[in-house]
Amino acid sequence: MSERAARVEQPDERGDPLVVVDELRSYYESERLLGGKPVKAVDGVSFEIRRGETLGIVGESGCGKTTLGRTLVRLEEATDGTVRYDGTDVTTLSGTELKRWRKNAQLVFQDPTASLNERQTVGAVIREPLEAHSWGDPHSRRERVYDLLELVGLAPEHYYRYPHQFSGGQKQRIGIARALALEPDFLVLDEPVSALDVSVQAKILNLLSDLQAELDLTYLLIAHDLSVVRHVCDRVGVMYLGKLMELGPSEELFSDPANPYTQSLLSAIPKPDPSAPFQRLPLRGTPPSPRDPPSGCVFSTRCPLKIRPDIEGNHDLSRAQWEAIDRFREVLRERDLADVTFVERLRERLGLSTRFTPIPTVAEELLGDVSFPDSVEAALSRAVDRAAEGEVSAARAELADALGGVCEREQPVRHDVGEGHSSRCHRHLEAYADADDVLEGEDGVGGVLEGL
Amino acid sequence: MTGERDQHRNAGRRHLDERSLRERVTANPRPAILWIAGLLALLALELGTIAGVTLEAGSWIGTRTTGLWERGGLSRVALLAVALVGLVGASGRLSAIDRFRVTAGAGVDAEGDSNAAVDADTSESNESRVPNTPRAVDTAVIAALVGTVVVLAIWVGAAGLVRTVGQGTLTWIADLPTLTAREVISNEGYQTPDGTWHGTFLGLSPAVAWALRVVVIYAYALLWVGWVFVGYRWFRTHYRRVEWTPRDDVVDRLRRHRWAQFGMVVVFVFLVMALFAPVLGPTTAEADLYGPYSHTFEYYDQGSGSVEELTVGEANLETRSVGYEAENVGPMSYDEYDRFHPFGTMPDGSDLFTFLVAGARISLVIGLLSVGLSGALATVFALISAYYRGLADLVLVVTGDTVMGVPRLLLLILLTVLLADTWLGGLYDGGILLAVVLAVTGWPYLWRSFRGPALQIAEAEWIDAARGFGQSTTVIMRTHMLPYLVGYLLIYCSMVLGGVILAVAGLSFLGLGITAPTPEWGRAVNLGQDYIATTSWHISLIPGLMITLVVTGFNALGDGVRDAIDPKADDSSSDNASNARGGGV
Ligand code: SF4
Repeated sequence: MSERAARVEQPDERGDPLVVVDELRSYYESERLLGGKPVKAVDGVSFEIRRGETLGIVGESGCGKTTLGRTLVRLEEATDGTVRYDGTDVTTLSGTELKRWRKNAQLVFQDPTASLNERQTVGAVIREPLEAHSWGDPHSRRERVYDLLELVGLAPEHYYRYPHQFSGGQKQRIGIARALALEPDFLVLDEPVSALDVSVQAKILNLLSDLQAELDLTYLLIAHDLSVVRHVCDRVGVMYLGKLMELGPSEELFSDPANPYTQSLLSAIPKPDPSAPFQRLPLRGTPPSPRDPPSGCVFSTRCPLKIRPDIEGNHDLSRAQWEAIDRFREVLRERDLADVTFVERLRERLGLSTRFTPIPTVAEELLGDVSFPDSVEAALSRAVDRAAEGEVSAARAELADALGGVCEREQPVRHDVGEGHSSRCHRHLEAYADADDVLEGEDGVGGVLEGL
Repeated sequence: MTGERDQHRNAGRRHLDERSLRERVTANPRPAILWIAGLLALLALELGTIAGVTLEAGSWIGTRTTGLWERGGLSRVALLAVALVGLVGASGRLSAIDRFRVTAGAGVDAEGDSNAAVDADTSESNESRVPNTPRAVDTAVIAALVGTVVVLAIWVGAAGLVRTVGQGTLTWIADLPTLTAREVISNEGYQTPDGTWHGTFLGLSPAVAWALRVVVIYAYALLWVGWVFVGYRWFRTHYRRVEWTPRDDVVDRLRRHRWAQFGMVVVFVFLVMALFAPVLGPTTAEADLYGPYSHTFEYYDQGSGSVEELTVGEANLETRSVGYEAENVGPMSYDEYDRFHPFGTMPDGSDLFTFLVAGARISLVIGLLSVGLSGALATVFALISAYYRGLADLVLVVTGDTVMGVPRLLLLILLTVLLADTWLGGLYDGGILLAVVLAVTGWPYLWRSFRGPALQIAEAEWIDAARGFGQSTTVIMRTHMLPYLVGYLLIYCSMVLGGVILAVAGLSFLGLGITAPTPEWGRAVNLGQDYIATTSWHISLIPGLMITLVVTGFNALGDGVRDAIDPKADDSSSDNASNARGGGV
């Protein structure tokens, strides 16, 4: 015990990066044989994980956080970019080198039931990594498994039981013991408690942090539960549609989020501290498909702080006007990406009824009650005509040209917004820092992004 | 303080499970001794047969003469070994230890003892010798290997025994009466005019003597099965380290499944028929079918009033069943030479029952061989398909579909005819060729059935976990995928086995495949088809019914195994588990 404590205290080991991720991309090929676009699950993500820290990755489901974790432990192949582990690029390892490296980095799975082979005894499950790496002799392996069982809070007599005989929390302990068998330095925890009862979650999280202190582990914790992340992580990254939107120290990110997406996410949870300085922003709609991410900023389809363009003739549109336009464009977007069969297209051309409401009707419904300046009106009616002819993509392009702003045109770059704190958003540029225009009419407007 | 705790802990661990099987048996020897005693008693009843087989095998190995396989007693032992391997497979995917225990426990023969000790130890030493060998290797290949090793041990042991014990002694032992020998309960004799029977067991009538022998044989076989099951139960309660495994539930469900039990009974009857073929019939296939003119028997000639000797062939000419009253020997009747025919006679005058029991053995050998081959192919291909997907899967799909695209009957006929004159066609009267052809044309059907489940299993997260710590592909397939396929393997193979028996019968019916005079059920149906509407209806009908029954039986067994394996069929298993829940969390 005392040896371990001494190891933890060594200061020189702490702080320098263990894992450096640089412009990592991980795409899934389309299931369709021809013409499908790849799913960009992870699309140009860069960060580093320091020795001994816990880095949290949060985001809605489908944002690519799980793929990111799996790519880091080489369960998924990286499409592009590098992952340096202790200086070595692990994305190019193969064969025995890869096998040797795998000892360093292990994954703890989300669903403990699904990740344990139910036909193996617990002893066999935990022993298997040791056998795969010819670790010691059978006797010492057995001893090691006993030690591991005790380490994760189980008992040696569980050796000859089957996973089926354990509760969810106990199964996750078995999964953790298996991950620890080869004495890794780095663990990717893929939502390790989200499949468990609430009463058990805290116990598993405590176990993980005890293990971290005892074994000097480095964690990447993937979660969608923000409160879990806030309590456990040193730093947190926020992912949306394959991009890292914001990365910063845990406390700072929660108390003073810089990115509109992070703000929206945090707005969704009941605020523990009502005096928190940031503005509550509603998170509307659902994320678009990662197969067709929006151009420019990936969050631009849902962003409440989206930067609006200047309209010809210097008109300022009201919030109601913009919302009507956004809704209409969203319909066009969905219509464009929907799988429309050839016959349906034909029926639409011929003016026959299809499963879709005709675009002019939709436009009438969404835009009819609102009046627009002439230039906007003209752009909208051109788009409606185009869409009615079946050229939905052209209609979308038309509207993007006339009404899309910088958020749709350009990908935001990373801005440093504090000590070790960065965010991707055009709002961090001097020219767009003032968000009053879009927040007009919201309750308690003003000073939203002050201090950025 | 710490030291004390460690000591305590280590003591607890030691007590836990580090004892090898031998140590566990030594700690509580009573059940093991009792069980082995019972086993030896069962073996002793057949000591003569075993000695005979040993002698035969020993001298065969000594002189390297061939041709023993077909009719020798050795085939019985080989079949026993194959059946045991099947039994082992049927008990699900046992871990290495469990499996060896069952194999040894099933008492392959006297050598089973030493095998048990050795094999139980290998579970430990395996780990040091071959680091990547999983504990639970459960491939059919391994099972077959175990079987082969056992058979080899018997053969080599036999040769050694013949050398050391000496041929004379062994011959003497071999001549000892055994429980099931035909001579002990003989049904061959003649009736003198005063109505008494001579030559039969206790002077009983041949019909009663024959029935008695059949009952004794089945009782003996039933004892074996019961004793093996008792061994399994005792092992579970006294020696197994694991107190509960998912397979226990499967066994329990199987025991409650009526339809499966029907299947088991039918399959048991069929297996015993195949194993004990030479002693079950009222006469033997050698005398009646293969060499009727080199075997003689005695009968009482009414005309001369004396006991005469006659060759079987000559007698058979007078006992033919060819469709009219004057020339017909129906079921459960005597012919004019006082020979009893439980199922009547064939058109050539030979005994139908003898023909059928001998045919059971041939059907079983062909069935097991072809299903084993195609099952192994299908399993390996399904694993490859599911694990690699993509191109490998595509190639297999195309190959499989190509084979399935050609009408199977056409392919069967083509291959059997083409290869009939090669060395392969000569083995086992064409039986081996038939088995191989059936396997080659049949694997895509099995593979199709396995591919879906295999694809599903390949998605399992524990496979990702295993890849994550660098487990090798072959081990992943064996330990993490195959165990989940074994159930499907058993289900489909048992169903296909029925189909193969049917196919062999069908081909023989068409005059292909098995050649005369080898007894094959389909040939019997074929031979009798001209007389189906006459008094000699039995020639076609009885074998036809038996084929139907056996095929149904195998299907029932497959259904039962599927229901037993499918956990959704019965959720009560979770109750067992909660009792055994450990502490923590
Ligand atoms: S770049 Fe524009 S759309 Fe993206 S988060 Fe910032 S304000 Fe919103």
